Amino acid sequence: MRKKISGVTLMFAVSSAILIAAGCVAGDSMDETNELRPAEVREYEGEKLSSISDFRENSIKGPQHVDIESYRLKIAGLVASPADYTYDEVINSYQNYKKRVTLDCVEGWSVTILWEGLLVRDLLAETNPLPDAKVVIFHAYDGYTTSFPIEYLMDNDIIMAYKMNGAALVPERGFPFQLVAESKWGYKWIKWITEVELSDDVEYKGYWERRGYSNSGDLDKDFFER
Amino acid sequence: MKNVLKRHQARQAVVWLLVAVIVVYLITGFGMTEYRIVEPLTFGLLTKLLAFKIHTILWMPFLVLLILHIYQRTRTVG
Repeated sequence: MRKKISGVTLMFAVSSAILIAAGCVAGDSMDETNELRPAEVREYEGEKLSSISDFRENSIKGPQHVDIESYRLKIAGLVASPADYTYDEVINSYQNYKKRVTLDCVEGWSVTILWEGLLVRDLLAETNPLPDAKVVIFHAYDGYTTSFPIEYLMDNDIIMAYKMNGAALVPERGFPFQLVAESKWGYKWIKWITEVELSDDVEYKGYWERRGYSNSGDLDKDFFER
Repeated sequence: MKNVLKRHQARQAVVWLLVAVIVVYLITGFGMTEYRIVEPLTFGLLTKLLAFKIHTILWMPFLVLLILHIYQRTRTVG
């Protein structure tokens, strides 16, 4: 009996020693801060929101990882004052807006997200578009492009988002900026925006548009001619 | 005897057509959602847009063939 108790005691002592040692090691590693994925809100003004992870990954070259230190957002083309902003300059220089908007993908799925960002109209106004500017072409980090008539962006509250569901965009979702092209099919919602170019080329076609998708991308119409 | 043979041939034709439609349905479905894989695999022939176009019209022949197939089976069994 005595032998048994001492065996149990020994086991207890060894386990305690292991736990203490593990605690010390864990204590050491606690000095380093591990980054967690941002927490997202799932409800806005009583309405349910989709999750950031509800999207299907269908970009042309997979998720892009943009180096924010070297990142520049160019506003170029038919503007009186071309601009070249850092990420911080963009998010700190303009009025912030948020809106709950649904993205409808041509593949048949949709997500409703609380988007937060600046108005494209404000961004364009800063650079003074020339009268010849009829079309705004968005360029992305992966080479993807899409375009809109300038009136669509100037007459509507179109957001260039840097947050979704209250958290900063993650690389898979288009960090640093995604266009919230309200009332347009998902392929017009360009991610990883690097350049906004104003042009007079009304015939310009973006990546999917060159492959037969509708250039307007209007949600109330088919995205391809039947 | 001739009629039985003809009916058998018709049944076979419906079955194989249905199989073909289902296979094309599956491939075009992948062509829409996994276009980055399907497009190069088909040497660029089955683009995402073409997959969409085919996929969205296939429901009709699929339904017709399926109904025909079920009808033929019930007649045979009955």
